[in-house]
Amino acid sequence: MSESAPTAADTRKLAQQARDRVRFEEEALELSDQVYRMARRLAGSREEAEDLVQQTYERAFRAWRQYTPGTNLRAWLLRILTNLNIDRGRKVQRSPDLQPLEEGDYYLYNRLEESGREPNADQDRVDERLSQDDVVAALSAVPHDFRDVVVLVDIGDFSYADAAQILEIPIGTVMSRLHRGRRILKRELADEAVGSA
Amino acid sequence: MAAVDPCDKCEELLQPYLDRELSDAERAEAELHLDGCSYCRRRYRFEEELRRFVRQAAVEEMPPDLKQKLAELRTSLF
Repeated sequence: MSESAPTAADTRKLAQQARDRVRFEEEALELSDQVYRMARRLAGSREEAEDLVQQTYERAFRAWRQYTPGTNLRAWLLRILTNLNIDRGRKVQRSPDLQPLEEGDYYLYNRLEESGREPNADQDRVDERLSQDDVVAALSAVPHDFRDVVVLVDIGDFSYADAAQILEIPIGTVMSRLHRGRRILKRELADEAVGSA
Repeated sequence: MAAVDPCDKCEELLQPYLDRELSDAERAEAELHLDGCSYCRRRYRFEEELRRFVRQAAVEEMPPDLKQKLAELRTSLF
């Protein structure tokens, strides 16, 4: 029997696979803006974010068969990206800040109020008191383990369950890191906006 | 046992409230307090707006050449 004579079934299977692959790549590329947006906040610099996104897509395109159609492709891509980001020498960075955090959830509002930037009570316009640069600087000052969760949930709009799966940590850890990460973010925002306490 | 200050309690509920993670009873407790407390109400409203602001402020457009590079990584076309 000749190897060069594929059956009709083989041909159909190959054609189907080719279509699946094209579909996967198109869907993955459609998500690239969102993937970049999160990479930009997870990585330290624009260059790092660009490298990270490129590596993510290289790996995703190679491993496309591991993706189960119909499941959350954005989460699948983010899982690759966060793994790559952790592998990129994150271990040498300082470990998460485990000191007790005195500031509560009203801290930022209270600091702005004390500084005289407190708004007219009926028009609490955050954008009059904080700039985009304040947010970018404050986010980058949040330690990685906390920032990962804040970026996925508050910027990427992932559920706690998705974030847990992406980062391969228990859902309870997602919740505690999110709680603490948001408080650290507000402390950093207060420092950006009105100076260190 | 010392009584918990109701505003401290409300502050504790802020994040799970906005995340819609509270039980019905806890949510009702927070809303009852918020109805009568402008101090907490302002801070809740601020937090809600802050989250929206952070989300928008964090957005940075992808450089067009990166998009092109990603498209070139496709293997199915070759």
